[in-house]
Amino acid sequence: MVLAELGSKISSALNAMTNSVVIDEKVLDDLVKTIGNALMMADVDVRLVKKLQNNIKAAVNLDGEAAGINKRKLIHSTVFKEMIALLDSGKAQYKMKKGKPNVIMFVGLQGAGKTTTVTKFAYHYKKKGWKTALICADTFRAGAFDQLKQNATKAKIPFYGSYTENDPVVTAEQGVKQFREEKFEVIIVDTSGRHKQEAALFEEMRELERAIQPDDTVFVMDSSIGQAAKPQATAFREAVNVGSCIITKLDGHAKGGGALSAVAATQSPIIFIGTGEHIDDFEEFNSQSFVSRLLGMGDLQGLQKILEK
Amino acid sequence: LWSRFVGKTLDREQLEPVMEQFRENLMSKNVAQPIAEQLCDSVCADLEGTSCGTFTSVRAKVSGAIESSLTRILTPKRPVDVVQGVLAAKKQQRPYTICFVGVNGVGKSTTLSKVAAYLMSLKFKVGIAACDTFRSGAIEQLRTHAKRLKIPLYAEGYDKDAAFVAAEAIRRAKAEGLDVVLIDTAGRMQDNLPLMRALAKLIQVNRPDLCLFVGEALVGNDAVDQLSKFNAQLTTLQSTGIDGIILTKFDVIDDKVGAAISMTYTTGKPIVFVGTGQTYKDLKRLNVSTIVKSLLK
Ligand SMILES: Nc1nc2c(ncn2[C@@H]2O[C@H](COP(=O)(O)OP(=O)(O)OP(=O)(O)O)[C@@H](O)[C@H]2O)c(=O)[nH]1
Ligand SMILES: Nc1nc2c(ncn2[C@@H]2O[C@H](COP(=O)(O)OP(=O)(O)OP(=O)(O)O)[C@@H](O)[C@H]2O)c(=O)[nH]1
Ligand SMILES: [Mg+2]
Ligand SMILES: [Mg+2]
Repeated sequence: MVLAELGSKISSALNAMTNSVVIDEKVLDDLVKTIGNALMMADVDVRLVKKLQNNIKAAVNLDGEAAGINKRKLIHSTVFKEMIALLDSGKAQYKMKKGKPNVIMFVGLQGAGKTTTVTKFAYHYKKKGWKTALICADTFRAGAFDQLKQNATKAKIPFYGSYTENDPVVTAEQGVKQFREEKFEVIIVDTSGRHKQEAALFEEMRELERAIQPDDTVFVMDSSIGQAAKPQATAFREAVNVGSCIITKLDGHAKGGGALSAVAATQSPIIFIGTGEHIDDFEEFNSQSFVSRLLGMGDLQGLQKILEK
Repeated sequence: LWSRFVGKTLDREQLEPVMEQFRENLMSKNVAQPIAEQLCDSVCADLEGTSCGTFTSVRAKVSGAIESSLTRILTPKRPVDVVQGVLAAKKQQRPYTICFVGVNGVGKSTTLSKVAAYLMSLKFKVGIAACDTFRSGAIEQLRTHAKRLKIPLYAEGYDKDAAFVAAEAIRRAKAEGLDVVLIDTAGRMQDNLPLMRALAKLIQVNRPDLCLFVGEALVGNDAVDQLSKFNAQLTTLQSTGIDGIILTKFDVIDDKVGAAISMTYTTGKPIVFVGTGQTYKDLKRLNVSTIVKSLLK
């Protein structure tokens, strides 16, 4: 995904810098440009890229007294600090409570992968021994209930939905009520795709939130999304209490930088990534360990220590 | 003082900072990075050494050149006319066949239903072939649309060979005197070779009159890779690959309309329709000048 690839692009740019004897304005400019292009090609929000570039330039004071070796170190650590800032939401991940109902609502743009992902998510917890159920609160999309029903049936996960009720709030409420009474632990609510330009769809999402009072709201984002990612994600966060992100379709060619910008906008951690259409094409994602793995690469060993100082 | 009134010759040094602004603006409007780069480079090369009129600023000159370049990219050399196609096939007493392809979740099935509604409004007899035999709910999704639109749907169920489902659908449509068959296919990643081969087989066996790539306006840099790989995989001795593009979710992107450029620049294929919402009426033609205006804003 984006960070792994960026990590290698950036470290080769940093290496190239190491090879040049003098570190002057031009060397720094080239480095900042290379990083900017790599980020832009990965769809990171243009404004975020600009900010990151400016931050690097500002932090690395070339006129300072430091000798070449320390300048290099400074540049290294600044670049990676900025990269981490991009990814790390600083918010703790929601922790499922054993023996209690945990209501999790999934939201996102049309076609992002919500319905596919809710089953993967449910299956993940079911395998770990949690009592898990699915609710279809998408009464809009043609075939939405059949899609969830077929997936849930294959995975042997109890589900709730209706072919006749056309108010998603009613369906969601009824489903949550039933599964609460039956002492389910992970109760997952799938919702319709929506976008910020259509106010009624956002209002419906707020009503859903009020009705079912989710313990966590997961924002699902397609890894191929470009510059529209940030404004959409921001609007979702402002409308409902988004607490986690899942990035889908990372089995494709897309680098996921748009999705990263969305993560930055939601200020929520990425908890899983989707890597295919099948139920177990799903991986847990820990941004902390991902970043430290990135930092542990090649000549960057020990950088973590520098950062901690 | 005089020099202010004398036309000047543009050199790279004057052009570069202005180009940089335009390049960045194009990327912020979601034009893929390498395409924004190439486009600006070629405009810059064209302008270098030309004279800039007395009262025109470098900026205005660059803007004009980019505007015509963008317009050229978006204006198809060979437009696709679906209605003409259907009429021509009708004369040969056979149904006109359109196949919808693309990556997962972009809006293929929804767009197919919109195209069905559009062709029905022109009094054509339309049928649907359910050749996504993989994704859960795919067949029920189309059945719902077919019921609403009151048109026939041919489906054999899940896990069937899509190429043969399409062949049988076309055979029946001919027997029943339908004018158009719309073929839905499963979404797939352009890098997934087995799935891409299965799609190439469907195209080879059935030789649809029109193969439309459905891409979403939300897509960023991946647009380039999606289109070039779908086109390459589907171009064979029997098939010319992608004939045209449908750009969906145009209502979701405000003025970030750059995917239109990324997609047409990559293939030179026209954007046949634009999807602007989730109902049957949300199918529009591309308005080139509006897009160019948004991109330059
Ligand atoms: N390759 C791949 N495809 C995926 C992944 N996740 C979802 N998909 C596919 O993406 C398409 C859309 O997925 P859905 O789950 O229907 O998306 P959604 O967000 O529920 O869509 P709406 O309910 O219409 O908003 C389907 O074809 C899925 O199979 C993934 O990680 N990889
Ligand atoms: N806002 C908006 N949503 C759209 C548009 N076109 C399609 N959608 C929505 O996008 C989602 C996915 O649409 P589908 O038609 O199922 O997409 P698909 O490409 O057939 O998906 P797969 O078959 O799973 O690959 C649905 O929620 C559609 O309502 C559009 O132009 N605008
Ligand atoms: Mg869904
Ligand atoms: Mg479909």
